[in-house]
Amino acid sequence: MRAMIIDDSRAMRSILRRIVTDLDFETSEAEHGQAALDQMYAGVVPDVCLVDWNMPVMDGYTFITEVRANPEWRDVTLMMVTTESEQRQIVRALAAGAHEYVIKPFTPDAIVDKLSLLGLVPA
Amino acid sequence: MTTSTAFASVSALVRRETSMVYDEGKEYLVEARLNPLAAARGLGLEEYVARLAFDADERRKVVDALTINETSWFRDHTPYQAFTDAMLPALLERRQITRRLRIWSAACSSGQEAYSIAMLLDQHLPPGWSYEIVATDISTAMLERVRAGRYSQVEVNRGLPATSLVRYFTRVGRDWEITERLRERVTVKHLNLAAPYVGLGSFDVIWLRNVLIYFEAATKQDILRRMLPMLADDGYLLLGSSETTLDMPADLAAAWQREQIGRVPTYRRASAARSLTPSLTSTGA
Amino acid sequence: MSAVVPEVEVPASEDVLAVTEDVWMALLGDDAPLLPRTVAPGAPFDVAAWSAATTISGGWQGVVTVELDEALARRLTMRMLALPADEQASDSDVADAVGELVNMVGGNVKSLMPGPSVLSLPAVAAGRAAFSSDSALACRVDLVWQDAPVRVSVHVPQEGPR
Repeated sequence: MRAMIIDDSRAMRSILRRIVTDLDFETSEAEHGQAALDQMYAGVVPDVCLVDWNMPVMDGYTFITEVRANPEWRDVTLMMVTTESEQRQIVRALAAGAHEYVIKPFTPDAIVDKLSLLGLVPA
Repeated sequence: MTTSTAFASVSALVRRETSMVYDEGKEYLVEARLNPLAAARGLGLEEYVARLAFDADERRKVVDALTINETSWFRDHTPYQAFTDAMLPALLERRQITRRLRIWSAACSSGQEAYSIAMLLDQHLPPGWSYEIVATDISTAMLERVRAGRYSQVEVNRGLPATSLVRYFTRVGRDWEITERLRERVTVKHLNLAAPYVGLGSFDVIWLRNVLIYFEAATKQDILRRMLPMLADDGYLLLGSSETTLDMPADLAAAWQREQIGRVPTYRRASAARSLTPSLTSTGA
Repeated sequence: MSAVVPEVEVPASEDVLAVTEDVWMALLGDDAPLLPRTVAPGAPFDVAAWSAATTISGGWQGVVTVELDEALARRLTMRMLALPADEQASDSDVADAVGELVNMVGGNVKSLMPGPSVLSLPAVAAGRAAFSSDSALACRVDLVWQDAPVRVSVHVPQEGPR
């Protein structure tokens, strides 16, 4: 399994990388949505993206919309990992095509649980 | 009072009031759960335990703290999948007349099991059907939580699908509150599993998960024996993934017939004549 | 723990405290508790070496600021980046980590206030936080973690002539 971690904070990317590496994921990273899209157009297409919402250049919501607009990427699972925690934001992200949503702050178990709900790690 | 006499006195208290057994070796657990209570009183652990003999309020808090079951939404996934994929279709066929299901969440803790089941029934029961979930626990503090149906962000962040979060919960301050529609289906009752089961009625499915491990063998057997008449002839009993009836005395093991649904063992009343569940081999999607 | 600003909705100190504790627990675990610290009202943060702020705008206006002392900021950074003990976190690492900290606290504060609102990207500075003269303190939480102080404050726009 390959995970792309998209967050403008290096520290947060490092936390998420350690969690998914422990689950034997290979990882790639991007510091905003546009950088992630560039990587995907260049052929680095992950099984799952862990996407922050608030980022410079391109935010996570726009990134999700862009990914969902490309039928070639329909198998990519999208999981928001963000401090945005209003109900309406979660509804918006799901409507735009996010499969799961984790609210920051989170414990490592929260990420593992959600990945296992998505069938990406054995329960 | 020394640490080891404190531990002995606490485990005797819990055993007397709940029949749950805290063997030596569980000191760390007792310490972890009692330290905050002692700190709240400004006492060291040993001083606090010495005081319990005279303080019924604190005794109740200790029992509550030590009987809290770790829980999460859709814990272990597979029992819930077996429930929707196999048990529910079978029960829907057999309850055509009454169109009503009754489910027992025994040792319900903070109610995440009961509400997980409620969410599934809300999604999968055909129109015109009704259900009741009876949630019982020995901790009155936990029962209050189930009644309130409020969970912290940390709790809803774990194991609860985001679609269910937005569908069944509303943000209330820092917490998330489960919808009235589900809360009104859950009946909360105070119950010690080691004491008689009175006024509960009978159930189509009993969830008795991850609690038998706390009882000694004789109590465990007694509970499983008294569970038999609580279950409808064609109902299902679910145990925790490390629990089984196989190590029970022969008559009791024979009274519970193990029936595998995918990877999930369920237990059914052997005496009751009935046809096997359809889609026995279903492992779900 | 809080000053009063009339006619503007402000977050409760206990909510800001709880949000901060959640963030702390997630980042640093529970091996050491975050304890309250008594500080005179109006006293500037005495040991600020790092400060980070995020602005909430829309249905509710406010600025959430986290200030913390040098050693704490570095420890937090080491922990978040999982750096080995013999390595040093660079200033840019610290700025990144402290920025993510205020992002988490700020986002959760935003969710408690009327919306919809937008959360800005964090602005991080070495040194004490500078507060705009047309803003007023709405709520302040002073804490200490392993002897190192940390302060979270929320400012709202000042109403009317001053």
